[in-house]
Amino acid sequence: MKCRKCKAQAAVALPSHNTAFCPDCYLLFFRSQVERTLHKQRMAKAGSPILVALSGGKDSLALALQLHELGYAVHGLHVDLAIPDYSALAKQFCEKFCSTINVPLTIIELREEGLAIPLIKSRIKRPICSVCGKLKRYFFNKFAVENNFPVLATGHNLDDEVSRLFANTIRWDASYLSDQGPVLPAEAGFARKIKPLYRLSEFEIANFCFLKNLEHVTAACPYSPKASFPVYKSLWNKLEERMPGAKIQFYENFLRDGRPVFAAWAEQQTDLEPCPGCGYPTSSGLCGVCRIRKMVGAGVNGPGVSDLDSKQAG
Amino acid sequence: MITVLLEPERRQLHYPKLNTVLQLLHELKLGQTDVLVIRDKELLTQDRSLAPGDTITVRRVTSRG
Repeated sequence: MKCRKCKAQAAVALPSHNTAFCPDCYLLFFRSQVERTLHKQRMAKAGSPILVALSGGKDSLALALQLHELGYAVHGLHVDLAIPDYSALAKQFCEKFCSTINVPLTIIELREEGLAIPLIKSRIKRPICSVCGKLKRYFFNKFAVENNFPVLATGHNLDDEVSRLFANTIRWDASYLSDQGPVLPAEAGFARKIKPLYRLSEFEIANFCFLKNLEHVTAACPYSPKASFPVYKSLWNKLEERMPGAKIQFYENFLRDGRPVFAAWAEQQTDLEPCPGCGYPTSSGLCGVCRIRKMVGAGVNGPGVSDLDSKQAG
Repeated sequence: MITVLLEPERRQLHYPKLNTVLQLLHELKLGQTDVLVIRDKELLTQDRSLAPGDTITVRRVTSRG
């Protein structure tokens, strides 16, 4: 197989694009995909500051590296979940990465907030993955708003987005379907959020990381076996194998034809109000995170909520 | 003999004969975009030939949490 651009030996074949690239041309392809998404979706102004949520995994580190190389002023933000045999390693990868490319990194320790994931897991009956996601979104947003970042970027890829859309569709969850997309505008209490990798698959990002020699955490979260998304991803990978391009078609057609219908429905629903505990926008009295705090006895409206205790590193 | 290292499981398999990467993927029941196939720090597309003595790393690309 030859590179489509330069005819050298190909290293990466992309069935969904019906093409293949050599290492150098693949990196140019990847860069242009991200650049095009940023431009087409009007995600961020060239060279502007971008807060990038870093987990230590391949997607978020690839995103931060590509944005940095495109000239954006990247600031990394990592939430340490305090999960044994996992979180310390994830944090190390973030620290090493940010120090290597010389970008600032802020770390928020959930343990210091009284919200260590193992503690919460021992106190609740809900699936821990959804609570963990809620906490991360909360602290990413809070930090972005309080520090006036114009935009918060996450490393969600095409497989993440398609799995989420599929899960929301199985449940016909109109509320979630109304605001799923690569750009969420800033509104009262919420930072503007972007997903510049939403058109790139895990395979494409893994190739980028390999060719860039980007070290990232590969260990599985010990709590992840109960997550449902890997099941959806596996189903979609089988479909994509038979029908290359099915994922991007499903997602892009939803953005064009489906989301506007659900967004119009959502406009007629209840307005969001500030949470009486922490001020975070919510539709149900105390916000989800303050309810979790109350449940684990971490104290609503405590110092951890109003005075975000974050560490500056790098 | 061809040695195959599966990541992240760190499992090692041995095959007396495999002609191509595609054959290897079929043996492992994996799709073309499920894994990176690596030989001597080089990425291999599915049409590439394999030879006795090769050590091939097969690295899953799916995030696991």
